[in-house]
Amino acid sequence: MTDHSATPPSSIASSGSALMKKRNRHQKVLQGLGIAAISFAALMLFILISSLVSTGYKAFYQTHIQLEVFIDPEQISADNLQRGNFDDVLLDSLKVYFPDVEGRANLRKLESILSNGAQFKLRDRVQADPSLIGETVTVNVPVSDDYDQLAKGMVDRDSPANQRKLSDIQIGWFDTLDEAGAITQPINWALLTNADSRFPELAGLKGALVGSFWALLVCFLISFPLGIGAAIYLEEFAPKNKWSDLIEVNINNLAAVPSVVFGLLALAVFIGWFGMPRSAPLVGGMTLALMTMPTIIIATRAALKAVPPSIREAALGVGASKHQVVFGHVLPLAMPGILTGTIIGLAQALGETAPLLLIGMNAFITSAPDSPLDSATALPTQIFIWADSPERGFVSRTSAAILVLLTFLIAMNAIAIYLRSKFERKW
Amino acid sequence: MYDAPNLAESKVTQDNIKIAARKVQVYYDDNHAIKDVDVDILDNTVTAFIGPSGCGKSTFLRCINRMNDTIDICRVEGDILLDGQDIYDKRVDPVQLRAKVGMVFQKPNPFPKSIYDNVAYGPRIHGLARTKADLDEIVEKSLRRAALWNEAKDRLDQPGTGLSGGQQQRLCIARAVATAPEVLLMDEPCSALDPIATAQVEELIDELRQDYSVVIVTHSMQQAARVSQKTAFFHLGNLVEYGDTGTIFTNPEDERTESYITGRIG
Amino acid sequence: MTTAAFLCLLVLSIVGYVWNRQAASAIRNGGARLHSLTGFHGFYSLLMIFVPVVVLILLWLVLEGPVIDLVLKSGLSDRLDGLSTGETQLIVAEIKSIAGGSIFGTPEQWKLDAAERYNTLNVRSGQLLLVAVLAMSLALLFFSRRKVAAEFRARHGVERIVSGLMIFCSVVAVFVTIGIIASLMFETFRFFEKVSVAEFLFGTNWEPQIPLREDQVAAEGAFGWLPVMLGTLVITVVALLLAVPIGLMSAIYLNEFAPRRVRSIAKPFLEILAGVPTVVYGFFAILVVAPAIRSFGQGIGLDVSPNTALAAGSVMGIMLIPFISSFADDALSAVPQSLRDGALGLGATRAEMMTNVLFPAAIPGIVGGVLLAVSRAIGETMIVVMAAGLIARMTINPLDSVTTVTVQIVTLLIGDTSFDNPKTLAAFALGMMLFIVTLVINIFALRIVRKYREAYD
Repeated sequence: MTDHSATPPSSIASSGSALMKKRNRHQKVLQGLGIAAISFAALMLFILISSLVSTGYKAFYQTHIQLEVFIDPEQISADNLQRGNFDDVLLDSLKVYFPDVEGRANLRKLESILSNGAQFKLRDRVQADPSLIGETVTVNVPVSDDYDQLAKGMVDRDSPANQRKLSDIQIGWFDTLDEAGAITQPINWALLTNADSRFPELAGLKGALVGSFWALLVCFLISFPLGIGAAIYLEEFAPKNKWSDLIEVNINNLAAVPSVVFGLLALAVFIGWFGMPRSAPLVGGMTLALMTMPTIIIATRAALKAVPPSIREAALGVGASKHQVVFGHVLPLAMPGILTGTIIGLAQALGETAPLLLIGMNAFITSAPDSPLDSATALPTQIFIWADSPERGFVSRTSAAILVLLTFLIAMNAIAIYLRSKFERKW
Repeated sequence: MYDAPNLAESKVTQDNIKIAARKVQVYYDDNHAIKDVDVDILDNTVTAFIGPSGCGKSTFLRCINRMNDTIDICRVEGDILLDGQDIYDKRVDPVQLRAKVGMVFQKPNPFPKSIYDNVAYGPRIHGLARTKADLDEIVEKSLRRAALWNEAKDRLDQPGTGLSGGQQQRLCIARAVATAPEVLLMDEPCSALDPIATAQVEELIDELRQDYSVVIVTHSMQQAARVSQKTAFFHLGNLVEYGDTGTIFTNPEDERTESYITGRIG
Repeated sequence: MTTAAFLCLLVLSIVGYVWNRQAASAIRNGGARLHSLTGFHGFYSLLMIFVPVVVLILLWLVLEGPVIDLVLKSGLSDRLDGLSTGETQLIVAEIKSIAGGSIFGTPEQWKLDAAERYNTLNVRSGQLLLVAVLAMSLALLFFSRRKVAAEFRARHGVERIVSGLMIFCSVVAVFVTIGIIASLMFETFRFFEKVSVAEFLFGTNWEPQIPLREDQVAAEGAFGWLPVMLGTLVITVVALLLAVPIGLMSAIYLNEFAPRRVRSIAKPFLEILAGVPTVVYGFFAILVVAPAIRSFGQGIGLDVSPNTALAAGSVMGIMLIPFISSFADDALSAVPQSLRDGALGLGATRAEMMTNVLFPAAIPGIVGGVLLAVSRAIGETMIVVMAAGLIARMTINPLDSVTTVTVQIVTLLIGDTSFDNPKTLAAFALGMMLFIVTLVINIFALRIVRKYREAYD
C-alpha cells in the first residue's frame, strides 16, 4: 500500500478549490476568535490575581522598630498603669538615636514614627509583669503607616517634598534608624490576630473572621435542614399539582433574586419588625441562609434525582414504607452530592457582601464579637470598609484580606471537589 | 478526472469496485473494535452489513466517510480506498470526502430549518449551485429522488422537524442525495420508523442503487434480504462472511453466520 | 434562660425517646406483636415533645421584645403622652441602654427606675419561658407515653410529623418570597404617602436629601427614578457588550474546537472567575481598571471621570463572562449528537456545523442565559457601589459617571436609618422596582430555558 500515495488523490484532497480555501478560512477565523475570547478571560483572571498579590503581599509583613526602653518609675507607677506616660517613655528611647532633635513640634513628629498602638503594646506588657518597672526592656513595636509605606518602597524619595507625606528630615530619621539596625520586618501575624483599627499598621481581620464564622454557622444551621427538608419533600413526596409547581417556580426565581433585595428584606423584617440587633452575625447569618437555601434545595434535588429508581423499587419491594426508603436508602446515597452543593452554597454566602451592608455589618468595631449577637463585620464587608479607607496602608491590607478570603473560598471548593470525586458514583 | 493506474484495480478482478477495505483495524482507546476487515464494495449495488449488536458493523460503516474522526478516542488503521484513493491519506480532507460519501443516520435528524433549507444545505456549503434557479432544481430533484416531492412541494418553507418520522427520514435521504454523493451510507435507517414508512424507504433504497453504491447497516435480516445484493456478516469485530445475499441467507459457509441467521445467536 | 430552656427541652425529648422505647420493648417482650418498631415509639415521643416546644420557644423569642416594650411604655404613659413616635423611640432606646449598663451623663430618676423595671421584666420573661417549656414538655411527655400500645401506629405518627416538617420547609421558600414582597410593598406605600407615584416613576431628577429639620421643605429633594434606571441600563449594556461576545466565543471554542487538554484547563479557569466574590471585582475595578481607563483616556486627550460607567460596566462584564459561557456551553451541549452527525455527514466543516446548525438550534437556551445575565447585571451591587458614581445623571455616555439602582439603595441605607424619612423609604421603593424588573426578566428567562430543555429531552 505505498504506491497509491504517490498519486495525489484529487477530488477529495485537501488542497482543493477557492471555495474550500474560503471554508477553511472561516473555520480558522472562528477558532481564532474562540482562542482570543478564552485568552482574554484568562488574562483578566491573571491580572486580577497578580494585582492582588503584588499589592497584597506587602501586608503580610510589617515594619517594626526595636527599642531599648527604660521603664521610668517616675512616669509609670504600678498602681496607676492606665495613666502611665508610656508614649513619653517610648519617645525617650527613640531620642537616644536623635539627641539633637528639639522642640515640641519636632518631638511630636519624631514620636509619630511609632504606631499609635505602640504605647498600648508596652502598657499591656508592663501590666502583665509589673516588676518590669524600673528595668530596661527591649520592645518591638510597629511603625506608623507612613513609615511602613516608606520601608516597603511605596514612597518615591525623588518626588517633590510637597507631594509626599514625609519630609526629607523624616526620611532621614528613618534611614538613621535603619542603619542602626533598629528596623525589622517580621511576618505580620497581627493581620490575623488583631481586630479592626483606624490605623492601618494595627488593623487586622480577627473581628471579620470571627464574624464571618458566626454568620456562616447560623447560615448553615438554618439553610441546611430547611433546604434538605424542602428538597426531599418536593422531589420524593410532593404530588405533582399546582402547588408544587408554584413552590418550584418560586424557588428557581428566589435563586435569581438580587442579593441586595435580601438585604432589604432583612432590614425591614428582622431589624425593623422583629427588633433584632443591627450589625449582628446572627441576623447576617439568617439573611445569608435565605439566599443559600435555594442553592441547597436545587443541589439536593439534583443529588436525589441521580439515585436510580431501582434502589427505591428494591426497598419498596421488601415492604419498606416510603419514608423508610427515602431516609434509609436514597438520602444516604445522595449525601455526598448534597454536601458538595451545600459547601458551594456556603462558599457563595461567605463572599456575599451587599445584604450584610444593609444590615449594618460594615460597622467600625475594634474587637472581635464574643457571640453571634454582638456587633461585628464579616470578611467581605471588612474588605469593603478597607477599600473605602483613604490611608495608603489600607490598599495592601485590602488586597491581603481578599487573598485571605479567596484562600477560604478555594479551600471550601477544593473540599467540595474532593467530596464529589471521592464519593461520586456512576450508576 | 482521475486516470492514473493504481494498486486496487490491479489487485481486484472486478472493475466496478467502489470501495476497497484492507486490513482495517479500529480501536477505542485499548478496545479493539474492528479486527482485520477486508471487503470490496461494488458500485450500483446495495451492500448490507448484518450482525448482532456491538459487532462493529456501524463502526466500520462510519470509517468509510471518516465520521469516526469526530470521536477523540477512536483510532483507525489499515487502508480504505475509494475509487483507488486512500481516504485516510494525510492529504485527504474529510470534509470533501463526506461530500462524496453521504450518510443517513439511524434516527431521522433534520436540521431545525425549513424543508428547503435542509435539502439545500449541502449544495450551499459545497458551492454546487451557481444561481437560485440551480439550487431550486437540485432541491426538487433530490426531493423527487427521495420520493418526498409530492408530499413536500407545497410546504417547502415549513420546518423539517414538522414532518412525520418516515417523511423526516426521506428528507434526510434527500439531503444526503443533494450533495451528489457517489456512495450512500445508511446506518439502520429504518429502525425508528413504522412498517409503512419502512417499506417506502426500502423501496427508495432499491431505486437509489441505479446511481449510487449503497451500504446499509441493518438489524433486520429480512430487510437485508429484501434490499441488498451483497451481504457482509460481522461478529465480535470480525468480518465473518461476505458474499451474494442469496448465498449468505440460503447457504452460509461459516457456522457463526448460520447460527445468526437461524436465530441461535444475536 | 433561653439556653436553659433549650437544654431542658433537649433532655426531656431524649427522656421521652428512651421511656417510650423501653415501654414498647416491654410490651413486645410480654409476647404481644407491635405494629411499629420500638424505635418508632421512641421517635414518636421525641418529635411530639421537640417540635411543638421549639415552636413555642421561637415564638416567645420573637414576641418577647415587642411585648416587653409595650409593657414598658404603658408603665410610662404619663411621661410619654403627647410625645411623637420619634421622641418615644429615643426615650425607650435610652432606657434600654441604661438597662444595658452604659450610662451617659446623669439621667432622670424615672428613667433609672424604668431601666430597672425593664431588666426585671426581661428576667421575668426568661423565667416564665423556662416554666412554660418545662410544663409543656412534661405534658407532652406523659401524653405520648400513654399512647404506647401494641396496636399503636407509631410509625405512621412519626411519618406524619416528618412529612409535616418537610412541607413546612418547602413553604418557607414561599414565605421568603411573600416576606420580600410584603416588606417592599409596605415601605414603598409609606414612601408613596410622601412622594407621588408619578414623580417617582416619571421624574427625571434624583436628589434624595435628608431634611435635617421638620420645616426644611426646600431640602426635600427629588425622587424621580428614571436617571437612576438609565444609569443602571448604561452599565448593563456596557457589561453585556463585553460579556456576550466573549462568553459566546469561548463557549463555542470550548464546546467544539478545544482539544481535551485545553478544555480541562480552561473550564476550571472560568469556574474560578465565576466564584470570585463581587466585592473583589469591585476592588479590582478601583485598583486596576478605572485607573487604566482613565490614563488611557488622558492619553488620547479625553477627560475621563474616575468612576465611569465604562469601568464599572467592563468589570461587571468580566464577571459575567463565565456565566454566559457556561449557559451557552450547556445550550450547545444539549443539541443532540444526531444533528452534529447530520451536518458533518453532509461534508460540513466543524465551523459550518457550529454556525449553521448547532448555534441556531441552541439560540433559545443562549437567549435565556443572556437574559439571566441581564437580570444579574441589573441586580449586581458591590461592583457598582465601589466603582460607579453617586450622582444621578440623564446620560448615556459610558465615559460619564452614572449611578445605579443598587448603588442608591446601599448608599441610602448605609449608616443609621430610621424608617420614617423619605430617604430610607426611597431605597425600598427602588428595591421594589429592582425586584419587579429582575423578577419579570427571570421568569421570562427561566421559561425559555425550560422550554428549550424540554424540546431536546
